Amino acid sequence: MKTIQIFGVSLQALIKHKLRTFLIILAIVVGIATITVVVSLTEGANKLTMQRIKNFGPDAIMVHSGAGGMQGPSTSDEANLSQKDIADIVNIEGIKLVAPFQVELDAPIKYGNKFTTSWIFGVEPNWKDAWRIGASRGEFITDSDNEQLSKVCVIGATVVKDLFQDADPIGESILIKNVSFKVGGILEKRGQSPVGTDFDNLVLIPFTTASRRLMNQPLYTSMLRVIVYNPSHAKDTAGQIREILRENHQLAETEEDDFKITTAEGMTKMVKATSKTLGIFLLLIAFISPLVGGIILMNIMLIAVSERKSEIGLRRAVGAKKKHIVLQFLSESLVLTFTGGILGVGMGIIIGIVLSLLGKPISINWQPFAIAFLFSAIIGILFGIYPAQKAANLDPAKALSQK
Amino acid sequence: MIELENIAKSFESGVVKTDVLKGVTFKVKSKEFVAVMGASGSGKTTLMNILGCILKASSGSYKLEGADIETLNDDQLSEIRNKKIGFVFQVFNLLEGTSALDNVLLPLVYAAKYPHDAHKKAVEILCSVGLADRINYKPNELSGGQNQRVAIARALINDPAIILADEPTGNLDSESSKEIMNIFQKLHSQDRTIVLITHDINIARYAERIVFLKDGKIEKEEVRR
Repeated sequence: MKTIQIFGVSLQALIKHKLRTFLIILAIVVGIATITVVVSLTEGANKLTMQRIKNFGPDAIMVHSGAGGMQGPSTSDEANLSQKDIADIVNIEGIKLVAPFQVELDAPIKYGNKFTTSWIFGVEPNWKDAWRIGASRGEFITDSDNEQLSKVCVIGATVVKDLFQDADPIGESILIKNVSFKVGGILEKRGQSPVGTDFDNLVLIPFTTASRRLMNQPLYTSMLRVIVYNPSHAKDTAGQIREILRENHQLAETEEDDFKITTAEGMTKMVKATSKTLGIFLLLIAFISPLVGGIILMNIMLIAVSERKSEIGLRRAVGAKKKHIVLQFLSESLVLTFTGGILGVGMGIIIGIVLSLLGKPISINWQPFAIAFLFSAIIGILFGIYPAQKAANLDPAKALSQK
Repeated sequence: MIELENIAKSFESGVVKTDVLKGVTFKVKSKEFVAVMGASGSGKTTLMNILGCILKASSGSYKLEGADIETLNDDQLSEIRNKKIGFVFQVFNLLEGTSALDNVLLPLVYAAKYPHDAHKKAVEILCSVGLADRINYKPNELSGGQNQRVAIARALINDPAIILADEPTGNLDSESSKEIMNIFQKLHSQDRTIVLITHDINIARYAERIVFLKDGKIEKEEVRR
């Protein structure tokens, strides 16, 4: 009963001082909204990355030429995977298939007076099994295309859009690095890679044509995509591939790998590590905002306490114990922070929805609500307790004489 | 009822020590109406704060209805104030924006048990001080005299053992002062114990007995009736 009555006293005080109440709530709203947005954005980005890693395939191993730690594919210029390397890898137990491909980035493509740049991949027919992606229309690259060094290509949706708009590309001829290729098919839409590159801005040509005619790399292969039967063995198989390549490339103990092997598991680990660091960093920044809100709360509550000294003195004189005064001022703080918290989450979610409409990855989950609740309580108690105790510890005789 | 024995109080600010009360001894019997009379600086407000248990004496003993006040802790003092003392202040000290009724009910918020008939009782007391038609008025809608009557009603809500009034007419015109003092006399006739603190001899004369305070000591006493 008493607690409810004192709570009512707090509410009355808040209603009486509308501007003050509004300002504190505003400060808390900004703080909680910031956290809500940051958490939603971080969650959204994590989810998107995990989705992309899933697209990578848990049964896949990517082998890149060259030691570069950079993201993205290795090009034919860096190619150092030999025929022997590939043959040895194929012989590892548990491997379903090995799809070699040559890569050239940002090659010029022309059709009539239209111009674009795209990634060129020289592939074998098993590409479509390795990536579980084929031609949505027309024909994929065949074995005979590879045997005959045919100048045919399969183009991605982005290339279709850039060069042909609504026209039918199949059977048309396009110039890739000024060599004429016939469009044999259109690639199924694939979306983005784990690092966000457009997998539809792609032109596939036969592996042999790429190696000998377009990229002048007849001996070595840029990249391999290896598929294993059992995804749980992917990591072990990746280790075996590494051993084979190090031996074949005659690397000494002290030398670093001159290739790079990626598995879904490895990528997950790496992405998680970076997103964790980034997430902590972002959250630290985001926490500053409610902290500032808390400091504002404390300031205004301290002013409120000194403004209301005679009221506090009176309450003490008519029998309020210290704990009643603490309860009164603390519940004022808590009402403010919880109101601010609820409005802040609401505002954060609205901002989140706007951001997701603008194309940013946003995941709105239970976390913002938990955080708002937690922070409201923490800010309310942490920054409310000091003014409340200050109020309670006022000397009632002195407080009464203030007006 | 009230027994003060050699009460002294000094305040220290920095290195300066001021002795405000220098050994005050007096008694107030139950149902008595006593005025403490003194010029400003005589220590009468300090004495009132000590009597009201919102200030502890530096030395001496204070017994209120047999309880040794100086041995009590802060919470126990709060309870004593809540149950046994009704304050009436010079500046009324009402809560702004709060109705007369809610102001009167304020002490009960802190009572150990909120009486179920509190509302009825508050209305009765407000009627008895002549505010029957002002129950839901807020302090800024009432005159000074009316506000002081609200404050008196607030002091009565707990049926206190003693009513402590500190310059209750200090902020009022002579007409209102008269009305307020008549209320105190009426309360006295209803067997209430009242300690009135004032610097005004004409106000002090409403009491049965006047204690003259000078420089922190009792100078003399005057029994009127």
